[in-house]
Amino acid sequence: MDLAATIRGVRYRFDSVKELLGRANPPKSGDDLAGVSARSTVERVAARAVLADLTLAELRANPVVPYDQDEVTRVVEDDLDDLAYKAVAHLTVGQFREWLLETSTSGATLRAVAPGLTPEMAAAVCKLMSNLDLMTVAAKCEVVVRANNTLGLPGRLSSRVQPNHPSDDVDGILASAREGLSYGCGDAVIGVNPATDTPASTAAILTALDAVCKRHAIPTQHCVLSHVTVQMKALALGCPMDLMFQSLAGTEAGNRAFGVSVALLDDAWALMKAKGTARGPNVMYFETGQGSALSSAAHHGADQLTIEARCYGLARRYRPFLVNTVVGFIGPEYLEDGPQITRAALEDHFMGKLLGLPMGCDACFTYHARMSQDELESTKVLLAAAGCTYLMSLPVGDDIMLNYQSTSFHDIPSVRRLLGKRPTPEFDAWCEDKGITRDGAPGPRFGDAGVVA
Amino acid sequence: MTSLTRALVAEARARRGAADPMPPRIALPPVVAPPARVYVARRPPLTPGAASAHTTALLGVGHVGTRYATDVVLQFQAELAVAHEAVAAELTDGWAKDHGFLPLQTRVADHREYLLRPDLGRRLAPDALARLQAEAPKGVDVQVILADGLSALACMQAGPALYEATVAALRARGLTVGAPLCAKFARVWLEDEIGAEVGAKVAIILLGERPGLGTGDGLSAYLVHGPALGKTDGDRNMMSNLHARGTPAEEAAPRLAALAHAMIQQGTSGVGLDLAKVDAVIERGYRAPQVRQRLVERGGAR
Repeated sequence: MDLAATIRGVRYRFDSVKELLGRANPPKSGDDLAGVSARSTVERVAARAVLADLTLAELRANPVVPYDQDEVTRVVEDDLDDLAYKAVAHLTVGQFREWLLETSTSGATLRAVAPGLTPEMAAAVCKLMSNLDLMTVAAKCEVVVRANNTLGLPGRLSSRVQPNHPSDDVDGILASAREGLSYGCGDAVIGVNPATDTPASTAAILTALDAVCKRHAIPTQHCVLSHVTVQMKALALGCPMDLMFQSLAGTEAGNRAFGVSVALLDDAWALMKAKGTARGPNVMYFETGQGSALSSAAHHGADQLTIEARCYGLARRYRPFLVNTVVGFIGPEYLEDGPQITRAALEDHFMGKLLGLPMGCDACFTYHARMSQDELESTKVLLAAAGCTYLMSLPVGDDIMLNYQSTSFHDIPSVRRLLGKRPTPEFDAWCEDKGITRDGAPGPRFGDAGVVA
Repeated sequence: MTSLTRALVAEARARRGAADPMPPRIALPPVVAPPARVYVARRPPLTPGAASAHTTALLGVGHVGTRYATDVVLQFQAELAVAHEAVAAELTDGWAKDHGFLPLQTRVADHREYLLRPDLGRRLAPDALARLQAEAPKGVDVQVILADGLSALACMQAGPALYEATVAALRARGLTVGAPLCAKFARVWLEDEIGAEVGAKVAIILLGERPGLGTGDGLSAYLVHGPALGKTDGDRNMMSNLHARGTPAEEAAPRLAALAHAMIQQGTSGVGLDLAKVDAVIERGYRAPQVRQRLVERGGAR
């Protein structure tokens, strides 16, 4: 395969599809750190020009980590829907971009094609698209899932209440959860990142959340985001658990650093289908984020966007209820500033939706990244306008345990009002019933945590 | 006589709505003064009564429409400034030496490079490596390293106390401890190179964790058995939120010593470490006081 293009008389040559994908990526500090980014802006365009002429079939034949070296590649290849694949295999990446953007290409068509797409295809076309391109296509994708709630319907914007506490104080966690619910947040999940990763504390938090949900008949799901092995032990203790969580990486080596494998995830899913307490059928929750593979030197020389797409290729095996990228969480060594974080948020959301996932986003920054609060607020609106399934919600956006800035209890109703969105139908009815909202507007009990005392 | 062209244009305009009258002007309602009592000094508690005993989360701040009251916005901005100041701080020249630590610097040249190049923050600069080889005793049980990490302020303010408490707790268990070291522009994995150089069985790095909103005083501790280049996060055990609202030094030190001791006894760390044997010390009923400081006091002079 001759991978070369000429711009103003200068010939740019690339050794492999993997190298090409890296050079074609928009600027990311993490790709600079990995040494895979374009060495000049013109080289970046040259790489995109070459990429635009590759066919999707060529991308399938050239995964960034070979089949025999990596179980994520094997999951993607072995589970691929051949009929869906054949419908688009002949398209070049450039043609694929145009086909996605055509008005006549409907959400239903995209949903039908999704099982035939590999992560490398999603990543490749992403690199040829502007932010508004990414939003335009993502907004067409419709991925509807159900646990206790029905998530992802058109005109809906859901949120996770994230009531974290630095010492897992259950009363402190419940105080935050109650307040979040009173702002109409929490229809995606009430999900706690525990400070201490033990089966006993996981079970204690879940039991307390379950009591609140039952007492007030709240149509939502609960989850404690401890390691999957810890949650499996907690389930064995007999505690309620609506969703099971795990962080995913896009390579086998990256997942090994997370302490998981496909076999372990298969076991966890099977256990959850048998013992989980949500109605289902979707009962798994995954988080991802550009840069996580590089941080454990498990990126195989590939760019972070392509590796991120591979997380989604793995996630879809488990028909998850929730998947979100934690976009600015790791730090400026992977996404340096506001423009990079916003770009990555829109990219990840697009790729996840294109691959058929109910994609949400933790729009966030750490305090050592160069992003302002105003920029972050803009990013939330862009995501919601692109049809993002859910965002996070915390008291004033402040995670007092993980130390970063995310979406707030106030942001969710603000963005919903701005864009005419509502929570899931079940949760919407509950909010109206409780007086939290009246016809979607703040109601008499809006912001009153006593509504779920 | 009107020309045909004009007639055609007039007709086309009329078809597109130009002939429709403008909508009637909306009569403005009389402007009433806003009810003054709503807008004077909204001072919601930073955390309301019952919740404040359990969490520093910004609860009970109320709302105007779906947004924050002005007082909340100002508190938020002040807290953001505190966090950004903590990130921007650097270990001052001579601080380590003045506090009895052997100063070491990584391969990082400046603060921006520190943020963007974690690989350089994981390795000692050549002169620092030479100093370590010349001055630090070898073959110890545990090497403890204090470092700036993402908050030099936390390192300088809370670091020495945590360091001393940890060393005392290790010695109380009969373990030998290496020279006091303080590293600048350091990442967690720096403990691998330092621990390997001094031949420690366990390395512990205590470093400033990334600041939270309104904070910047927290330290984290990472422990690894058999420190050597190439260890990954799965080989480590850690404790975070080492500060007054999470785990204070006097609570953290015995747990760190118990972890290090268990690593030596079991000959492993990270996912391989059986925590059941240290749980007696780790699971405890301590409850830190939950205080969130009000930063902006308005009022008075007008």
